[in-house]
Amino acid sequence: MSIPRLLASRVLFSALTLFLVSILIFLILEALPGDVATRILGRDATAKALAVLRGQLHLDQPALVRYLHWLGDFLRGDLGVSIATGRSIADVLGPRIVNTLLLSLFAFTIYLVLALVPAIIQAVNRGKAVDNVISVITLLLLSLPDFLLATILLFLFAVAVPILPALATISEASTWQEMLRAMVLPAVTLAIMMAVYAIRVLRDSLIEVLRSDYVRLAELKGLRPRAVLFRHALPNAIVPALNVTALNLGFLIGGVVIVERVFSYPGFGTLLIDALQLRDIPLIKATVMISAAVYVGANLVADILAVLLQPRLRTSR
Amino acid sequence: MSMITARSSNRFAWFGTERWSVTPGPFKVGAVILLVHVLFAIGGAFWTPHGFAEMGTGLPLSGASWQHPMGLDQIGRDVFSRFMYGAHIVLMLSFAGTILGMVAGTTLGLLSGYIGGWFDEITQRIVEAMISIPFLALALVTIIAAGPALAGEPVLIVFVVGLVYAPRITRIARAAAMEIATREYVAVAELRGEGIWSIVFREILPNAANVLLVEFSLRLSYAPILIGALGFLGFGIRPPTPEWGLMISENRNLLIASPVTVFGPGLGLASLVIGFNLFTDGLSRMLGQRPVPGA
Amino acid sequence: MQKLIEVRNLNIAYGGAAGWTNVVQGVSFEIARGEAFGLVGESGCGKSTVAYRMLGYGTINSFVQTGEVLFDGTDLLKLDATSLTRLRGNRIALVPQNPTTSLSPGMRVGSQVREMIATHKALPDGMTMGQRIVELFALVGLPDVSHRYPHELSGGQQQRVTIAMAVACNPDLLVLDEPTTGLDATTQRQIIQLLSDLRTRIGMAMLYVTHDLALLAQIADRVGVMYAGQLVEVASGDTLLSAPAHPYSRGLIASIPTMDGAKRQARGLRGVLRRDQMSTGCKFEPRCDFATTACRTTPQVLEPIAGARSVACIRWQEVAAPQPLTLVARTDGEVSAKPERLLSVADLTLSYRKPSLVDKLLGRTNPSVVRDIDLELCAGEVVALVGESGSGKSTIARAISGRLPPRAGLISLEGGLLPPTVKDRSVEQLRQIQYIFQNPDASLNPRRRIRSILTRPLNHFGLEAGENTLEAVLENVGLHAGYLDRFPEQLSGGERQRIAIARALLVNPKLLICDEILSALDVSVQARIVELLRSLKEKHAVAMLFISHDLAVVQQLADRVAVLYRGELMQMSDTASLLSAPLHPYTEILLEAAPGLKKDGYVSRLPAMPASKAAPGVGCPLAGRCPRQVGSLCADVRPPLHATGGGFIRCHIPADELASRTVSPEHKRSAGTDGIRVLNS
Repeated sequence: MSIPRLLASRVLFSALTLFLVSILIFLILEALPGDVATRILGRDATAKALAVLRGQLHLDQPALVRYLHWLGDFLRGDLGVSIATGRSIADVLGPRIVNTLLLSLFAFTIYLVLALVPAIIQAVNRGKAVDNVISVITLLLLSLPDFLLATILLFLFAVAVPILPALATISEASTWQEMLRAMVLPAVTLAIMMAVYAIRVLRDSLIEVLRSDYVRLAELKGLRPRAVLFRHALPNAIVPALNVTALNLGFLIGGVVIVERVFSYPGFGTLLIDALQLRDIPLIKATVMISAAVYVGANLVADILAVLLQPRLRTSR
Repeated sequence: MSMITARSSNRFAWFGTERWSVTPGPFKVGAVILLVHVLFAIGGAFWTPHGFAEMGTGLPLSGASWQHPMGLDQIGRDVFSRFMYGAHIVLMLSFAGTILGMVAGTTLGLLSGYIGGWFDEITQRIVEAMISIPFLALALVTIIAAGPALAGEPVLIVFVVGLVYAPRITRIARAAAMEIATREYVAVAELRGEGIWSIVFREILPNAANVLLVEFSLRLSYAPILIGALGFLGFGIRPPTPEWGLMISENRNLLIASPVTVFGPGLGLASLVIGFNLFTDGLSRMLGQRPVPGA
Repeated sequence: MQKLIEVRNLNIAYGGAAGWTNVVQGVSFEIARGEAFGLVGESGCGKSTVAYRMLGYGTINSFVQTGEVLFDGTDLLKLDATSLTRLRGNRIALVPQNPTTSLSPGMRVGSQVREMIATHKALPDGMTMGQRIVELFALVGLPDVSHRYPHELSGGQQQRVTIAMAVACNPDLLVLDEPTTGLDATTQRQIIQLLSDLRTRIGMAMLYVTHDLALLAQIADRVGVMYAGQLVEVASGDTLLSAPAHPYSRGLIASIPTMDGAKRQARGLRGVLRRDQMSTGCKFEPRCDFATTACRTTPQVLEPIAGARSVACIRWQEVAAPQPLTLVARTDGEVSAKPERLLSVADLTLSYRKPSLVDKLLGRTNPSVVRDIDLELCAGEVVALVGESGSGKSTIARAISGRLPPRAGLISLEGGLLPPTVKDRSVEQLRQIQYIFQNPDASLNPRRRIRSILTRPLNHFGLEAGENTLEAVLENVGLHAGYLDRFPEQLSGGERQRIAIARALLVNPKLLICDEILSALDVSVQARIVELLRSLKEKHAVAMLFISHDLAVVQQLADRVAVLYRGELMQMSDTASLLSAPLHPYTEILLEAAPGLKKDGYVSRLPAMPASKAAPGVGCPLAGRCPRQVGSLCADVRPPLHATGGGFIRCHIPADELASRTVSPEHKRSAGTDGIRVLNS
């Protein structure tokens, strides 16, 4: 299959997936049996409040009509109005997304270094002490819940040795330095959480590749170890790690919810939690849709990168 | 697949001393940690030094002491008693949720992978869509959608864990089934005229067992974290039932004054997950050994 | 004779969970400059381990206990990593076993060759890198494929690339690790031809490792036979084949099926190499027909005997002496097949996919992989279906078994029409056709004991069975009741295949479909399974459709042979006349490609490669490859069927004319020279 056709089919599949996601979210939030308004406001809500809410959510209309309305508006870029604040969701979301994007970018940069370096060290020295030590460390870190790791880092670097701010509250008035300092702890937490998975996958796939026939042939061609590693082994080993990275981005979105909450960072994640606590259904739908879109997009990019790295895939699918 | 052939003939002698000595180290350490946790949980379910919801058992914020190894929380409850009582809740929720996800995911995945065609296509698209929603978001949205009546109920937490896990396990089971379905022993059974269920459960499931066992163990390792995260964000088990994530969240205000109230339960949670992870690591090594490259 | 490399008393052990195992013991040999030395032995005998040490390479868990590998006087085993790097590729190069996995998948093959030259700074003066690479590709008979990725080349082409890479720096020694094992017979032949060609041109020495003695005879000057980590015999290729001195060599040679149309007197090898059953004396003692009590306790060492040969056997004189290689013509019992028709296949046409809705709308049809097959099988008869890989042999078997519904055509069993799919067939019909698969490792469920594997079909078909039934069937296939409680993984490949055969026999089928059931087995094991099948055929009068690419095996077993090429039956004939008078040009090509035991010069014959892919269904599929092509007629018009004595042929040239064998040299040349074509990506 040619690359443009491959690309087109992947994009189409991604769109289909997102379409199904929208149906799923709608089904879960609005189409379960029982009255949506009562579920939002609770059993002891007044009849008047319920009626107002029903009006806001157009609950008098059939579910299919509501869904199509929502989807149509969404596709046109109209995300609707938040029930809790009455503000346009697009306005609420915009700055939060920018903040989270900054944080994610920072975290992702740290992640790349944190994932690649230890994995390569491990694979090259497989079976030796360094390999085992890193394995143990990754296993321990893997076992730390993200909210706990965030709390530990906060305790260490903001309470015990107060060199970094405990609360990552930033505003439009913050300077670059302030923002960077505020973002260090949340970004490092996210990076570590993602890296521990990637290190394990990359190590294993690198070791497998190092055992492969073509790496052996490269060695027996008399290539220098560095050339063998970087030219023959790493490009082929990185593909499984790419998939993990795409999965990690999904994790990042989930992790952002927790980490932002721990550090009170005004991003997308805290917004989702707020929306959930207020049962602000239009806002919940919008945030979840966007997070799914990010995940699907990341996977699309990883798929395409994998195809570019592995010419074999271009013809075999 | 090499994982299948790696086992020795005494596969049923699980507890032989000889077997124990050749078991990988991580598996042993993990198994011991888990055993301690299980015993602790059973003990905690029946006896705790103080009631888990009993207030005013001592001076709040007084830090760790012999009477209160994990200190006291803001309203004077003994954190260690709460921690002890919470142990069986964490374990039971984790197991129940993972088993639910495993049963649903395995059945769907094996069928989907073996039958293929439209059934597979539709299943996979739905699975794909479910996985595309970040799992924490999916879990939280489901909890909200369940409404106030179910919120904080253990059954909801179990359902949510199962719901988040099922599509992921479906994928693994499907991949395994697709690989095994190309084996000739499956063709032999087909040529004999065996039905779908017979082939899936007689020929495919036993051969996917290793993959699924490791997957189960892996998912089990993450379940306490997921449940903890829900509790931490305030969407988990209803207070005052002491789930560990919830306790960490409640006591975070005391991080400066009495860090032990946070890191005590934290250590418990982390050690449980470490136990699971070591166990998984060892298990996958035992089941998935690579063959030694021969001459 | 100038020594290039000398191996002295090499001992290598492998570390595993159960401690150290000796895989190579006291191996010594030498290779002179420009000499081709072959190492042969069954899988697991340690030959590859020795070969890789010639490059100073060993896996992490292997350990050299004693010994030296002297290359031009320096011991490779003591050399540091940097010096080894300088030698490898430059002076000692490797041609790996599996080119598909040995070329870096993400790198164009040109860059992989360039890398080799650049690393060793081996660019000849006055040449650009591009020129040199093209020259190397030309040397191995490839066009300029520099910009191709490995997956865009066929297996044979990939192997040519690795060879081009190996000779890029004009090495002194080429180590070849089973370089043709994964390739089909025709490609194998071309590669061997290329290698001997290169050897004369470049003058390098070769260490050629293989399990295929017949192949080795074509290329090696001297051959070392390895058994259980020891060299048991070293002799020149011709001497070894005509008069093997070691019982193992003798057995190995006897196991090779040949095209002589005759059976050797000597027995093939019995048993398998089991390292846990070694005697302290001669390693081969448990399997040796000549063994005495002295053999069990006295270790044997390689000792020079007459001329340039040496052997490790105290009784070699007795082994070597009574070997008047009397070829006994195979006497078939009176044709036992009754004229009762069992299976008939009429006008069978098959394609892999059903045409999808889109295809139907666009009027596209899927190319059929098999066309117009007519085939009949009588009760108790063995019909072989032969052809190269991809000719559609297994596809036909799939259709007969009901795993692939035919696009057109009828299949009937004992006069009754068989429904196209397994689902629609009756239990009785399913029982009567039993299928045995190629790969015994995959055809038994590894999670079930043999007992359960065997009883399941009995229960399914509702057949009565007691303990005796299972024991009897196991005995029938040369095993015993002790196997019932084992798992498949505890059995050797040959034993597993026996279980698969037992499982099929257990339900008393009328027809066995044997789909390449020997090709995954070692030669010695193959010979014994063929023996078994012949006895079963006589005892049970079960008919077999025997699918194989190996004519040598076929001639030992089959009553009639159907020759398939690109989905069409080219010839149907009884076995004896097919071998004595092949008639059809394609059958001739097949027979030529089958390796014989003599250095028959097949190396120098023209390669047979398809020059163009004829459109399926139009003309003769062989057009463009056929040495006897009749102008454009062959490509344009579908050849008619001609009846012959025992069957038919499909060819434009009538049978009597074919029999007279008049081939004009021009024809022959134009058909074969086109050589290699790059696959379209």
